[in-house]
Amino acid sequence: MTDPISLNLKINGQSHALDVEPRVTLLDALREHLHLTGTKKGCDQGQCGACTVFVDGRRVLSCLTLAAQAEGAEITTIEGLAGADGALHPVQEAFLEHDAFQCGYCTPGQIMSAVACIKEGHAGSEAEIREYMSGNLCRCGAYNSIVAAVRQAAEAV
Amino acid sequence: MTLMEPRKHGSASDSAVGSRLSRLDGRLKITGGATYALEQPVENVAHAVLVPATIGAGRVVSIDTSAAEASPGVRLVITPQTEMGLLVSGDWGGNRPEIVPYHPLSLDVTYNGQAIAAVIAETIEQAAEAARLVKVEYEEGAVVVDLFDPKANNRKSLDQMAVKWGDAEAAFAGAAVQVEAEYRTPREYHVPIEPHGLIAEWSGDQLTVWEPSQWTHGMARMYSEWFDLPLENVRVISPFIGGGFGSKGAPYFYGAVAIFAAKVLQRPVKLAVTRSQGFTAYGGRASTQQTLKLGASEDGKLQAIIVDGANETSTYADFTEQTEAATPLMYAVENFRSSHTLVKTNTVTPGALRAPGKNPSAFGIESAMDELAYKLGMDPLELRLKNYADHDYQSGKPWSSRRLREALETGAERFGWSRRSHAPRSMKEGRTLIGWGIGCGTFPNLRNSAEALIRILPNGRVEVESGSIDMGQGTYTIVAQTAADALGVPVDLVDVKLGDSLWAGAPVAGGSMLASSITGAVHKAAVAAREELIALALTEEGSPFRETGANTLSIENGRITTSIGDGPALDFATFLRQVRRESLEVRRDTLPEGTKPADANKFWTTMANVQGPTATDFSVHSWGAHFVEVKVDEDFGTVRVSRIVSAFDCGLIYNPKLAESQWRGGIIMGIGQALLEEGLIDPRNGRVINNNLGDYLVPTNADVPHIEVISVGEPDLEASVLGGKGVGEVGIVGVAPAIANAVFHATGKRIRDLPLTLDKIL
Ligand code: FES
Ligand code: FES
Repeated sequence: MTDPISLNLKINGQSHALDVEPRVTLLDALREHLHLTGTKKGCDQGQCGACTVFVDGRRVLSCLTLAAQAEGAEITTIEGLAGADGALHPVQEAFLEHDAFQCGYCTPGQIMSAVACIKEGHAGSEAEIREYMSGNLCRCGAYNSIVAAVRQAAEAV
Repeated sequence: MTLMEPRKHGSASDSAVGSRLSRLDGRLKITGGATYALEQPVENVAHAVLVPATIGAGRVVSIDTSAAEASPGVRLVITPQTEMGLLVSGDWGGNRPEIVPYHPLSLDVTYNGQAIAAVIAETIEQAAEAARLVKVEYEEGAVVVDLFDPKANNRKSLDQMAVKWGDAEAAFAGAAVQVEAEYRTPREYHVPIEPHGLIAEWSGDQLTVWEPSQWTHGMARMYSEWFDLPLENVRVISPFIGGGFGSKGAPYFYGAVAIFAAKVLQRPVKLAVTRSQGFTAYGGRASTQQTLKLGASEDGKLQAIIVDGANETSTYADFTEQTEAATPLMYAVENFRSSHTLVKTNTVTPGALRAPGKNPSAFGIESAMDELAYKLGMDPLELRLKNYADHDYQSGKPWSSRRLREALETGAERFGWSRRSHAPRSMKEGRTLIGWGIGCGTFPNLRNSAEALIRILPNGRVEVESGSIDMGQGTYTIVAQTAADALGVPVDLVDVKLGDSLWAGAPVAGGSMLASSITGAVHKAAVAAREELIALALTEEGSPFRETGANTLSIENGRITTSIGDGPALDFATFLRQVRRESLEVRRDTLPEGTKPADANKFWTTMANVQGPTATDFSVHSWGAHFVEVKVDEDFGTVRVSRIVSAFDCGLIYNPKLAESQWRGGIIMGIGQALLEEGLIDPRNGRVINNNLGDYLVPTNADVPHIEVISVGEPDLEASVLGGKGVGEVGIVGVAPAIANAVFHATGKRIRDLPLTLDKIL
């Protein structure tokens, strides 16, 4: 169980080689081994959405995904969302403008889910956004502004 | 001190105090660049995992750590038998007993989930696995499960909390209309989305702790006392905090465990409290119970209020959740009496959760007022206005400001309250019952001194440094706004550094007191920096202003100019170069005149000098009124909050965009409290059954309607230097009763114990 395995993870377009135990989650691989700490750990049990990343374009909870499962896939984290020149993604811009966060800890997960929510075509109305964004908890209670930001970004992208 | 002319709310383009500037730390937070405590890149970290007790009361008879110690990667196992050599620290007030040993782990089990051991290993996975291998034998004792357990007879009445004026018993007995009811609130939890934890690192006898902290100075002081170190040897670093709500203002036992482990292993140790452990590693809001009696005349004038309240606390420490905190402040009443009792149960000691005391207190009085309104056949808004308190009946002092009437009137108008029909079940849409309810809230204005350091750097940028913190309230932003305004520079020239106990002193980010305390100090330092720059410009060799004959200068938009603007205009970088200065540094504090330097630390590291709401000739509080619409499914009893309008008087709002977010956050937590949140305790063993986010329900996006928030406040210079009053907590106070009152209006069912789940509604 504890003998490390060698993995190569492709994250935000870059290859990362790492030796980890097979039981290491994608979330811990990112945070503890690769120091990509933008992805947050809110529960480690699949219940809060803070750890949301894209694996091959689909949103997944990285705390419920083993790092080994993600080998060979394209992983996108919050750090890879803005353009190489630092230009913010329209969802990021909208979050800033609408103050769609306070403490910021749920925010990377919210933004990843929002990007997916728009791409999946579920940002058609406020009610639909609320429903599809409900897998991401925000204890600071930024929900009104998150909905406003997703609406605005959905029109922009 | 020079007072700045407080400005009314400005626009988004303007960065002045009072404008809607976007969060300055926002870019870091939306790009993943904000680095929270457990994410600090500390090398060679070992990982600690706690081992929880599985009984609710009793004693550990034996602990077998051999299997854990033999498990791969394990470096250390700590148990109650480990001699840690710690000393008890002082409390929040700084009161410290004579040298008494402190044992963060104990063989005596007083609550289920209490940590009884810790395992430290190379990786988190190894530590977690080995923690499961620790074998514990217990001798089980009887568990007092909650406030209402028949075994709960260890009670303590707090006479010092009793409030009394007039003759409430006689006035109640003689009142034409009486309401008497019992209200209950369950255990509730903070659940910040960032779990608790820390990284501890020693370098010789210097200790560094990276930990989410609402109070870097206070926590550094307590750590220094535990480990018997000089205060200056301890550094608590906390640049970003993923939510606290009262739970991150003090070190907990696990901090001592991690720091001790780091000392033994001579390497940094990271201890991440798991989500489930977050329900027992520190306490949430105590469950409460209160009996309220209201007596009124037939025309609805209150004649007496009597409230007898109680809350649970642990068997080993007293925590008071003062269910009578808001009750005496809300209405005009000549006769009042209150009492409070603590009841010992087998729980972790409860803690402060957003608006401690005021919150359950408001649930009682604001529900009871609604009951009275229905007994009288009077509109609940009218009843509140009829009994409007024109001064503080408890202290006898005038309010510094109380625009609660404006909050009620403005809120009612925006909500459309006049269209309400009074009778329960009278507003329906098909099978959906509609209910409208009101709840009011208050929070006392606390004050403390603070200090701030301002540097004008060689590149002309302005740096403000403070040990205070930003957990989402917007400290980074309002500090920059305050400095920019007072110094006369654009806000994007200002960099703010927060969250390090080695930096300038600040009180706890709690009791809604940080913003006003810190802006007072920053304003004073910025004004001093401006004066110093101007003095230099007038006198220093090399300054082009020396020859202008001007006797004062102005600083506008980051440039030093003559007051009439006809002379040179220099930015700070150019000016510093011309007068051959590297930089300029100004430190100012708002300590009381004559405070000795040796005593200054007490202001930052203890709560001993916090001024309460009636410390001056006035009674100073924030106020709010909530108007709520609920839709109740008649067949299933499900409640949806469909509309909220809330109006607040929090004095001057430093940044409305951020304050509105905080108000909404409080209101949403209130929705959770009203409809969802409840720690469920296993009656057999006192375990918190729903110790995770799938079972302890907090509001999701789909639970929350659009919430309209309105500021009706005006600058209150009795409250703070710039005229602001506390914002962070008042938002939640009164939300739960407003929802309960709306549910009564919808269904005709009066529910007096939270949360309002469908089993109680059907
Ligand atoms: S950390 Fe993965 S869902 Fe909470
Ligand atoms: S911003 Fe704090 S939890 Fe969402």
